[in-house]
Amino acid sequence: MAHSHAVKRYSGIMDWLTTVDHKKIGILYLAAGALFFILGGIEALLIRLQLLYPNQDLFVGETFNQLLTMHGTTMIFLAAMPLVFGFMNAVVPLQIGARDVAFPFVNALGFWLFFLGGVLLNLSWFLGGAPDAGWTAYPPLASSQFSGTGVDFYVLGLQISGIGSLIGAINFLVTIINMRAPGMSFMRMPLFTWTSFVTSTLILFAFPALTVGLVELMFDRIFGGAFYEVAKGGNVVLWQHLFWIFGHPEVYILVLPAFGIISEVVSTFSKKRLFGYSSMVFATVLIGFLAFMTWVHHMFTTGLGPIANAIFSVATMAIAIPTGVKIFNWLFTMWGGQIRFTTANLWAVGFIPSFVIGGMTGVMLAAPPADYQYHDTYFVVGHFHYVIVGGVVFGLFAGAYYWWPKMFGRLLNETLGKWHFWTFFIGFHLTFFPQHFLGLMGMPRRVFTYLPNQGLDEGNFISSIGAFLMGVGTLVFLVNIVVSASKKYAASADPWDGRTLEWSISSPAPEYNFAQTPLVRGLDALWKEKMAGNKGMTPAEPLGPIHMPSPSIMPLVMSIGLFIAGFGFMYHQYVLCVIGIGITFVCMLLRSIFDDHGWHIEKEELEKKGAEA
Amino acid sequence: MSSVHDTAGRLPAEPEKATLEGRNKILGFWLFLAAEVVLFGTLFASFITLRNQVPEGPTADELFKLSTVAISTFILLTSSLTSVLGTISLHRHNLSGLLGWMTVTVLLGLAFLGLEVYEFVEYVHEGHQFTSSAFATSFYTLVGFHGAHVLFGVLWITTLILQAFRKGLTVVTAPKFYVAGLYWHFIDVVWVFIFTIVYLMGKVG
Amino acid sequence: MSAHQDPSSAEGRQYRHEGPRNHYITFILSILLTIFAFAAVIYGDLDRGFVLWFLSILAIVQAVFQVVYWMHMKDRGHAYAILYISMGALIALTAFAAAAFWMWW
Repeated sequence: MAHSHAVKRYSGIMDWLTTVDHKKIGILYLAAGALFFILGGIEALLIRLQLLYPNQDLFVGETFNQLLTMHGTTMIFLAAMPLVFGFMNAVVPLQIGARDVAFPFVNALGFWLFFLGGVLLNLSWFLGGAPDAGWTAYPPLASSQFSGTGVDFYVLGLQISGIGSLIGAINFLVTIINMRAPGMSFMRMPLFTWTSFVTSTLILFAFPALTVGLVELMFDRIFGGAFYEVAKGGNVVLWQHLFWIFGHPEVYILVLPAFGIISEVVSTFSKKRLFGYSSMVFATVLIGFLAFMTWVHHMFTTGLGPIANAIFSVATMAIAIPTGVKIFNWLFTMWGGQIRFTTANLWAVGFIPSFVIGGMTGVMLAAPPADYQYHDTYFVVGHFHYVIVGGVVFGLFAGAYYWWPKMFGRLLNETLGKWHFWTFFIGFHLTFFPQHFLGLMGMPRRVFTYLPNQGLDEGNFISSIGAFLMGVGTLVFLVNIVVSASKKYAASADPWDGRTLEWSISSPAPEYNFAQTPLVRGLDALWKEKMAGNKGMTPAEPLGPIHMPSPSIMPLVMSIGLFIAGFGFMYHQYVLCVIGIGITFVCMLLRSIFDDHGWHIEKEELEKKGAEA
Repeated sequence: MSSVHDTAGRLPAEPEKATLEGRNKILGFWLFLAAEVVLFGTLFASFITLRNQVPEGPTADELFKLSTVAISTFILLTSSLTSVLGTISLHRHNLSGLLGWMTVTVLLGLAFLGLEVYEFVEYVHEGHQFTSSAFATSFYTLVGFHGAHVLFGVLWITTLILQAFRKGLTVVTAPKFYVAGLYWHFIDVVWVFIFTIVYLMGKVG
Repeated sequence: MSAHQDPSSAEGRQYRHEGPRNHYITFILSILLTIFAFAAVIYGDLDRGFVLWFLSILAIVQAVFQVVYWMHMKDRGHAYAILYISMGALIALTAFAAAAFWMWW
C-alpha cells in the first residue's frame, strides 16, 4: 500500500509481477499467449503425427481425445485471446493519445486471472489427465458419469480465465469512451481501436453466457446438480445453447481485432488512407451485432426444426455481407497505392485470400440441408482453421511485425520474416485445404485413426506434412525474436512512416506514453500533421507533472486465491475454497480501504527527456 | 488524489462525477451491470427451461408460499428506496444522512437474506433439495445467485459505511457510494423478475 | 421536493438537485404493480396465458421505472448506460425467448 509521498518502484522480476503499466501487461499477454500457442501447436503436431498414416497407434483413444480437447481449448482461450488482448493493451492507449487504460490495477488483475486459469487447465496433464470431451464439452459426455476429473480442470480453469477476459473488456470500453485525446471523435479513431471497441462489447455480453454454462456444468459435476441430468429432468441441449450463445460471438471476438490490424497494416504499407472508413466502422458494428444472432448454426442437427434452422441460416449468411465490404475496402485501399511488401504486409496480403476461402466455406456450412452432410466431418475442421489460422493468426503475425519496434525498440529481421511467412503460409494451405475434401469424402472429426484405402490416405498425409511445415515456420519466428533481441541498434520512433498516434512517440514508448497529450485534428492524426508539414503532434496541454498509478502485487495474489479455490472445488476440499476466496476478498477489501495515491513524474524529468530525444 | 474543491472549499455539485476516475468508475460499473443483465438473463433462461421438470419432489405450486415472497419483496423494494434516498443525501453533501440511509438499507438487506435462508431450510425439509430434480437445481441456482449478490452488496455497503467514518465524503468516496447504490437497485430489479417468473408463474403453472 | 440551489459550481451555473419526489412515486408505483401481480395469481379464475403475459408486462414496467428513476438513467450523461443496458437486455431477452419457446417440443 503506497503512502502518498513514498514512490514504490520495483525492478527485475518484481517489476513484471507488480506492473500496472498497459505496455508491460501487453508484453506479458503476448509472452503467455505465445507460450500457450507453442503448447497448442505441439498438441496439434502430435495429432497430425498420429493421423499421418492409417491405423497408427501412437496416440489413441482417451489420449487422443485429451490432445484434441486441449489443442482446441488452449488455442482459442489461452493463445488467441491473450494475443489479441496483448495487442489491444500495447496499442489502443497509444492510438487514442491516452497515458494508460482506465483501470490499470484491474488490467493487471485480468492478466493474472487469465494466466493462472491457463496454468490450472494445463496442470490437468499431470493430475489425472486432461479434459477429453472436446473444447465444446457437451454433456452428457462432459458429465461426471462419462468423463474423468479432466473436465473439472476445464470448467474451473476457463471460469477463472473468463473473469479476466470480462474485466479486460470493461477496461477497454471505458478507456476508449472516456479517455480519447482532445479532437479524437469516434469517427477519427483508428480502425484497430474501433475493432477493439466492438470486440470488447462482444466479450462483455458473450462471456456471461459461458459463465452460466460453466457454473451449471460445475454444479452438476461437483454438487450433484441436475441441469444436464436427463433422468432428473435436465436438458442437454440447454448446454449447447448456452455454449454457442457464447461460442459464436467468441470467434468474432478473435477475428475482429485481426481485421483491425489488417486495416492498419494495409493502409500504412500502401501509403494510402483506408478506403471507405465509415463503411468499415459500420461493417464492424454490424458484424458485432449479427454475431449474437447466429449461434444456432452450430446446432442445425439437434432437431430444432426447419423454421429455426432457416432463420439462423439467413442470419449467418448475412454476416458475410459486412465482411465482404471489408475485404473490398482493403483491396481498394491497396489499388493505386505505393505498396511495400514488408513482412507485416505479406501477412496482411496473405490473409485476404485465406480468410475469404474460410468465409466461403462458412457460407456453404450455413445451409442446413448441406450442413447435415458436413456436420462433424473434417469439412468443418477445414473451414474453421481457414478462418482462425488464415484470419486470426495471420493478422496477429502481421501485428507482431508491425508493432514490434513500438513495443521493444527493435525491428524483427525482414529476411527471417519472409522465411517465416512462406513456410507457414505454404504449410497452412497444405494442412487445411485437403481437409475439406477429407470431410466431403466422409472422414469424421475427432477420430484417432481411419482405415486404409478409403480415399483418405493421401489427404491425411499431405495435411500432416503441412502441419510440420507450419511448425518449422513457427520456429523461424522464434529464432527471429531471439536474433532481433540481440541487435545493437534501436528502431526509430516511426520506422514505417506511419499514420496513427502511436508512431508519434519514441520506440519503445516512454513510461508515460505522451509527455503532453496530443491535439487530434483529423482521421489518421499523425499523417494529417505530416501532410501539413509538421514534425510531430501539436500538444493539447502544457508540460506538467504526470500522475502515475502505483504498482501492486495484489492482482497476482488475488488470482492465486481463486486458483487455490479452484483446486478446492475440484477435490471437494471446501476449506481450500474458503481460504482461496477469502484471500481474494481480503485483497479487494484492502484495495477499497487504502486509496492508491500513485506517484508523479515531474516536469523537470520530462523536459530532460525531451531535450535528449 | 486529494479532494477537489472549488475556491470556496466546497465539494462540487455531483461529487461522484467530479474526477475522471469517478466518471470512469461509474461508466465501468454500468457496463458491468449490462454484463450481469446477460448473466441473469441466461440463468432465467435455464430456469424457464427446467421449471416443470420435477420427476421427484414437490412442484413449484406445492412449495411456494406467496405470503413469504410478498414480505421479501416489500423488504427489498423498501431497501432500494432507502438507498436512493442515500444517494440524494450524497448530492446534498449530507454525510450523516447518507450513512443513516445506507445503514437502513443494509439492515433491510440482512432481513431479506434471513427470510430467504429460512425459506430454503423449509423447502429442504419438504423434500425440495438441490439434487432432487432439474427444477430444484435451477431454482436454487437462480435464487441462490441473487441471494449471493444481496450478501455481497450488504458486505460491500457495510465496508463503505465504515470507511466513510474515517474518510468522510470526498470526490474519492462519493463514486464508491454512488456505484454501490446502482448495484443495490440492480439486484432489486432482478428480484422483480424473480418473484414474477419463479414464484408467481410457478403458482400459475 | 425542494429545488436545492447549490452555488458551488465554478462557472456560476446553478445545479438544481432533484428532490426525492420522483423516487417516492416510483416506490408507490412498484408496490402497486407488485400487488396487481400477486392479485392476478391469487384470484385464480383468469386464463393462464393471459396471466403469464400480464405478469411479464407488469414486471417489465416496474423494472423500467426503477432503472430510469432510481438509477438516474433519465439524467444527462447516461447515453452509454442506456445503450449498453439495452443491448444486454436484448440479448438476455433473446436467450430467454429461445429457452421459453424452443426447449421442449
